[in-house]
Amino acid sequence: MIFRAVEDTDLIRQAARGAVEAFNLLVSRWEKRVYNYLLRITGNREDALDLTQDVFLKAYQNLRKLDDPGRFAPWLYRIAHNEAYSMFRKRRPESDIADLEPEGTDTGITVGGSSVFPLELSLAVAGALKQLSPEQREAVVLKIYQGFKFEEMAEILSCPVSTVKSRLYAAFELLKTELAPIKARGVS
Amino acid sequence: MSCSPFDIRDYVLKELSDPERKQVEVHIKGCQGCREEWERLRLTEAALFSLREEEIPQRIAFVSDKIFEPSPWHRAWAAFWGSAARLGFASAAMLSVALVVFAVVFTGARPAVSTPAPLASASSGNVKAVAMSTDQIQQQIQAAVERAVTASEARQQQKLEQVVADIRSEDLKERQQLARMADAALDMSTQRRLAVERSSYDFPRAQKEGLQ
Repeated sequence: MIFRAVEDTDLIRQAARGAVEAFNLLVSRWEKRVYNYLLRITGNREDALDLTQDVFLKAYQNLRKLDDPGRFAPWLYRIAHNEAYSMFRKRRPESDIADLEPEGTDTGITVGGSSVFPLELSLAVAGALKQLSPEQREAVVLKIYQGFKFEEMAEILSCPVSTVKSRLYAAFELLKTELAPIKARGVS
Repeated sequence: MSCSPFDIRDYVLKELSDPERKQVEVHIKGCQGCREEWERLRLTEAALFSLREEEIPQRIAFVSDKIFEPSPWHRAWAAFWGSAARLGFASAAMLSVALVVFAVVFTGARPAVSTPAPLASASSGNVKAVAMSTDQIQQQIQAAVERAVTASEARQQQKLEQVVADIRSEDLKERQQLARMADAALDMSTQRRLAVERSSYDFPRAQKEGLQ
């Protein structure tokens, strides 16, 4: 549990009244998470950074429209999702949204060995995530790496909870096939 | 197919309430198939967590950027008048001063009933001045943000145009290279044909010359 002297909801209320410093603090709390979300769905660091900048600009402009400060996170990610898909559309206007694939060569997954996890496992995970469709991958990123609930994911992705579940379950079926045996062998 | 009272995937993804979780846990203990399914899902989730988050390459400079900040005078003004308590205190102080002035200057000269009207208007005038100054600050920030959004969109557009130009340039290069290769192939084929023709004509002549 991270101790925070001032809660996000207080900062949001202050920022909505024009307190620039409060918004600054909100940015510093959320920028890394938003950047990583965008990095994993765009697969490009430069795009992710530019989009993160735009997301916070849009958030500042529209903060007064946020009725419930408790819903700040899904609201912010909704902006991020829209900004990313708007960029995809600008680059390939003829494509359907369902066909939009990140343009990067990788999936925005940082692979690197650490003292906790071996490099082989990270590579296997990156490879497995690459096999997912963009929607499935985004669902996994929002659930596993960003920790959103189904309902919040539905709000971010602007689709029914049932759609969120089906994307996530399908993704897990594939990931399980790819990763569970590898991990099991590694452990045993 | 799982025979668990609730979906094991929802259990692993922490979407179940505490009582529901307990029911699943009890079921898993007694059901080999569901326990294996849970194990695999748990391992999958653990594997996914092996990917680390990246540090942001540069801090989002947005509101801390000087361009977005109002002038120090405006900041001090807004900081002072932004507080409701201070505003109330200042209004009360002004009212007290006004009462004292009134008491000293007009004692006995006029009935006290006529005093509230000018005080009230003076007080509301102050509030209006404060509100206007805060509005001005907001307008300035809004204008700066709009400028930044426009700049950002222009930057994106420029980047897009650059990408398109690069693609076109590469395409042109590839076409030129292909044309060169085609020319070279054509030359080679022509030379080969000429060589074949020459050899077919020269051979009998050489034979003749040899015979002579």
